[in-house]
Amino acid sequence: MKIKIFIAVISFILVAALTLAAAESNRTPVQLQKRIDSIFVIASSGELKYRDKVDPAIESLAKLGAKAVPPLIDKFTTKSARERLTIIKILKKIGSPALPDLIDALSRPEWLVIKRVCWTLGDISDSAAVLSLLGVANHDNWQVREYSIRALGKIGDLRAVAAVINSFNDSVGQVRKAAVVSAGKLNSAETISYLVQMLGDSYYGARLSAVEALLTKDTTRLLAQLKEALNSASGLKAKLAMKVLGKIGNDEAMDILSEQLNSGNRQKEVDAAIAIMSADPQDICGYHESVFEKIKDRLALLKIESARASAGDGTYSAN
Amino acid sequence: MSVKSVYCMCLILSLALSASAQNNKKMSPEKQGLLLLTDYLGLHPKDISFRQDYHDPDGFRLSKVAALMSQPLDMIGYVDELKGVHIKGQPEILASILFDDLAVTGQSSRSRAYRPQGTEAGEAYTLYFLNQSLNQFLARMAVYIDQVFPRSTEMMLAPLSKKQKRFLTTKFKEIITSDLEEEFYTIEQHDSLEKAEERYADQFVEFAHKIDKDPIIRAGIDCLKMILLETKRLRKQLRGGEDAAEDFMRVTGFLPDNTDLSAFLGRQPGWAIGGPDNDYYNGDYYFILDIGGDDIYDLEYDPDNPHGVIIIDFSGNDSYRSRSDFTLGSGCLSVGILVDFEGDDRYDAKSFSLGSGYFGFGILYDAAGDDRYDGDTHVQGAGSFGLGLLVDEGGRDIYNGALFAQGFGFIEGCGLICDTKGSDSYYAGGKYKDILRYDDHYISLSQGFGYGLRPVMSGGIGGIIDLEGNDSYYTDIFGQGSSYWWSLGFISDKAGNDNYHSFQYAQGAGTHMSLGILTDDSGNDVYFSKGVSQGCGHDYSAGILLDRNGNDTYTAYDLSQAAGSANGVGILIDNSGEDRYFIHNEKNSQGYGNPRRDFGSIGLFIDLGGSDQYLGNGRDDFFWQTKSKWGGGMDIELIPEDETKK
Repeated sequence: MKIKIFIAVISFILVAALTLAAAESNRTPVQLQKRIDSIFVIASSGELKYRDKVDPAIESLAKLGAKAVPPLIDKFTTKSARERLTIIKILKKIGSPALPDLIDALSRPEWLVIKRVCWTLGDISDSAAVLSLLGVANHDNWQVREYSIRALGKIGDLRAVAAVINSFNDSVGQVRKAAVVSAGKLNSAETISYLVQMLGDSYYGARLSAVEALLTKDTTRLLAQLKEALNSASGLKAKLAMKVLGKIGNDEAMDILSEQLNSGNRQKEVDAAIAIMSADPQDICGYHESVFEKIKDRLALLKIESARASAGDGTYSAN
Repeated sequence: MSVKSVYCMCLILSLALSASAQNNKKMSPEKQGLLLLTDYLGLHPKDISFRQDYHDPDGFRLSKVAALMSQPLDMIGYVDELKGVHIKGQPEILASILFDDLAVTGQSSRSRAYRPQGTEAGEAYTLYFLNQSLNQFLARMAVYIDQVFPRSTEMMLAPLSKKQKRFLTTKFKEIITSDLEEEFYTIEQHDSLEKAEERYADQFVEFAHKIDKDPIIRAGIDCLKMILLETKRLRKQLRGGEDAAEDFMRVTGFLPDNTDLSAFLGRQPGWAIGGPDNDYYNGDYYFILDIGGDDIYDLEYDPDNPHGVIIIDFSGNDSYRSRSDFTLGSGCLSVGILVDFEGDDRYDAKSFSLGSGYFGFGILYDAAGDDRYDGDTHVQGAGSFGLGLLVDEGGRDIYNGALFAQGFGFIEGCGLICDTKGSDSYYAGGKYKDILRYDDHYISLSQGFGYGLRPVMSGGIGGIIDLEGNDSYYTDIFGQGSSYWWSLGFISDKAGNDNYHSFQYAQGAGTHMSLGILTDDSGNDVYFSKGVSQGCGHDYSAGILLDRNGNDTYTAYDLSQAAGSANGVGILIDNSGEDRYFIHNEKNSQGYGNPRRDFGSIGLFIDLGGSDQYLGNGRDDFFWQTKSKWGGGMDIELIPEDETKK
């Protein structure tokens, strides 16, 4: 008798579970849309008092998987930054299963949607998206170009190198910046000479990002290019080249910098002295004496002393 | 040409060249500081610039704001110039300059006010008073109220349908105002409210470009100029001894019993002329002239029946009270002018008051006395598709508002307080809770605050100019030279030991593609704010705090004192004095930039003189670069000490 009851209960639970599962899978798109909309209101809520409900709502939407992707892409037209970030967060959690719909969305007419899809594809970082991203890398809208190049860098696939190099010449600073950042992420020596050129870029985002990108590259090929950059007419290019040399800080780099101490160009001498102090605050290489013999200007000395102190105590970033 | 004239020309030319050379040499300390520090960091002042097209540009962007976004450092020169514009007794000059700044990008010409034609300029009123000067003045005012204002409003709104006109005083107003109940809304109610406001904004965008605010603002400025000119003469007459007031108010000798007084000049419906005694005014007025006494005004306004309102009070300690929104120097779809020449006055307003230009021109000009201004939302120098001014030329004043107050500029709007004398107190906030971020802080969005509707409509210009006195400024969330979305907010305080207290987004803070600046020229000042303040730019924005003199104290917790965030630019410059800088979180302050969109922001901390004390990244006599993308600071002695003072 007990066994019969047990079997009946188990059967009932199974039937109920199967019925519920069938109902879930048979949900009409309208029902699904409604469900996504209602959870999304919570997932994208910014109010302080609802903050602890946000993450579970995001998880719940991500669990819906690929079927949640088209409605979420449709929401990319939102004017709310908070909603936009929430969508990207959910799609990233869904991951590769979201790719087919995201790639399809790259052919939509709204540049804002394409830009946000590129952003998401970069966050998912699946190389299956590379060719599609290359397809929008020359888009009319500069933000689409910026975010497609950015995504290609994040994915790190070498098929993107040519597109990245091409973007170094873009008329918009933000796109050049994206190219510089991506070049730093791509494991390719082809980009080195371009990155050195970018040290003199008119857009600070590209220029300063180039310093960081160059530091990811093989120094053997880099040093010669940097030495050449020191002859540049652009003061900023030479200054940043010295900064990179200071950060490399090996013997060869220090030799190049010490040569600049006697370049006869006041600005370059000071910049070289700052780079030397940053690289070698303890004067292991023995350049400090010549620095202080050479530089007498009050503010230049303050910069040099500050660079030495900063590098020495580790509180600050070495210049 | 004679030898003499050639000699004169050469002399003039050489003098001009010499002056130009001197100007070139005379670079401001802050500019020198910026050159030095940016060079140290591998930057250049020109790097401080933003594009116009991070979003599709809308048709409401002010060309002044757009230009300053391209060159944010020019904000310093802009507020310095504005500070020198005001001339005592002539607020219309300041108004005219600000009107110029309300040109929209791409606008090639500005519309004029309506000009009365032929008989319109001199409609036949029967004279009631005997004083010719008074009659002449009243006749001119009647032309403005009966002809110029209504016709200029028509010009402003001509292409709009009746429904669209109604939208302006209903749904659009809802976008600006807040409800105390919102604090208790459910998540669904909040979402619904947010979506409703988005919908309103979208609806408004559809027709807002048809609105031409220029005619009505110009009409208001023209009228203000005339009022100040003519009342000068009238006030002079009243100074002519004990009988002057009686003579001034003398009326025509005989009136038949069945006379309709509304046909007489000065006795039209909605008009009142008050004598030297204490008078009481109650209702919706078009024109009041009161020549003396401690008067009480209980005023109301119906936005469904827009009209110009002119109130002129010559003297006495007066009490002005709102019985509805849109009163007391409030131009709602029209012009509102309130001029009070003397006395310690009290202004108790509701919303859209005390120098509020809401699709119009509103000015409150108080020439003297210790005054108190109280209001709620869109008050005390606030402009939306209009110009709102509060000019106070004397006394120790108290300003108290809740939201969008004290120098607030919304879409195609400019709002400004100009206070020229006295130690003043500015308080904004404390009513509407900041439910998004905190359960114990209130939104202020005031005190030199520019605001736009992100991402559909660019904002305006909001500012405070305070020229003298030890002033006290208090805001909570958003205030004191801050901004949101393609707008500009500023405070320019010229003198006095001032106290600036806020909590977040304040004291030279730009957020989301906008500009905020606070400049203080002299005095030993105290700055306190918790975060995103004291020279902070967030999301392609610039925030500048510039203090030129005095021994100042700066205290903040985080993301402040020259902090760039999300590709923004934050700058703090202190030109001289023995200063103290305190920071709680040194990881994101005092010359800090954080990365967003894979690249950095810019934070520039500059102290150009004095022996200073630091808690944070800074050090006296030092250049530093923080471990951030990208920022740093310097503390140097740029200005040589004056040897004669030793």
